[in-house]
Amino acid sequence: MKRSRSKKRRKVQVPVASMGDIAFLLIIFFLLLSEFAKDKDLPIALPESEQVEKTEAVVVARVAIDSSGDIYFDGDRVDNAKDVEWGIRALLTRTVSDNQRHVQFKCDARLPRETFEPVLKAIAEAGGIIEAVGEKP
Amino acid sequence: MFKRRKQKEKKHHTGEIPTGSFSDIAFLLIIYFLVATTLVKVQSVTADLPTGEKQADAQVDKTPVVNLRGTEIFFSDKKVSVENFNARLAALKLAEQPPENRVIMLESTKDTPYEVYFQALAAISSNHGVVAIVEEEE
Repeated sequence: MKRSRSKKRRKVQVPVASMGDIAFLLIIFFLLLSEFAKDKDLPIALPESEQVEKTEAVVVARVAIDSSGDIYFDGDRVDNAKDVEWGIRALLTRTVSDNQRHVQFKCDARLPRETFEPVLKAIAEAGGIIEAVGEKP
Repeated sequence: MFKRRKQKEKKHHTGEIPTGSFSDIAFLLIIYFLVATTLVKVQSVTADLPTGEKQADAQVDKTPVVNLRGTEIFFSDKKVSVENFNARLAALKLAEQPPENRVIMLESTKDTPYEVYFQALAAISSNHGVVAIVEEEE
């Protein structure tokens, strides 16, 4: 009598009721944390160098100058280098370490000095560390 | 008979939304995002340009100067190729120098393209140099 009882298997039910909630929470988490590349479609021919390395630093802002010389700050077009400086200054007001000062800089390889140098100086003046984007030849 | 039919109709209109497949939909969405996401890691050169007061009387005689004239690179007034420039910077052993002696002055003409400027910047930064931009006198 006892033996026959012990042979009976208990049905174990895995609680799946909250799986949907967990999945949606994960989706919301990824949606909030993901970052869309705003300057992906800009016409920029990147310069080449053997010394470029994969960027490990987390950048606080993205500055780009396209082939026509238009300046973009975090994907939005700005009028001049001064706007870039004030934008970065505003972002860096609460920074405490050097790791939080990296600013990505993309510029078309054919542009003359008078177009890109004021922007480079503006980033430096605002306290940013320049991460100049390039490609390996 | 009539009552039974009414009861059956009522059973159909419970008003509950079927949520059984929600978790499947959600996980399919997660898988879609995971597969479709491309993690772009760009390649770059790090340059921390010194800021502060403009120095009119910088120690030009001691500090190495790099001149960019159009597409040409001049190091201490001698024309060099990018490879040669790298080798000469490496010979300075800037990594072993104190921070104040790591400064390399970078001067350029108006027609210097960013390509050349970037190569000079990359060479100096990879050799642990600190770039100081030389401004033209107005």
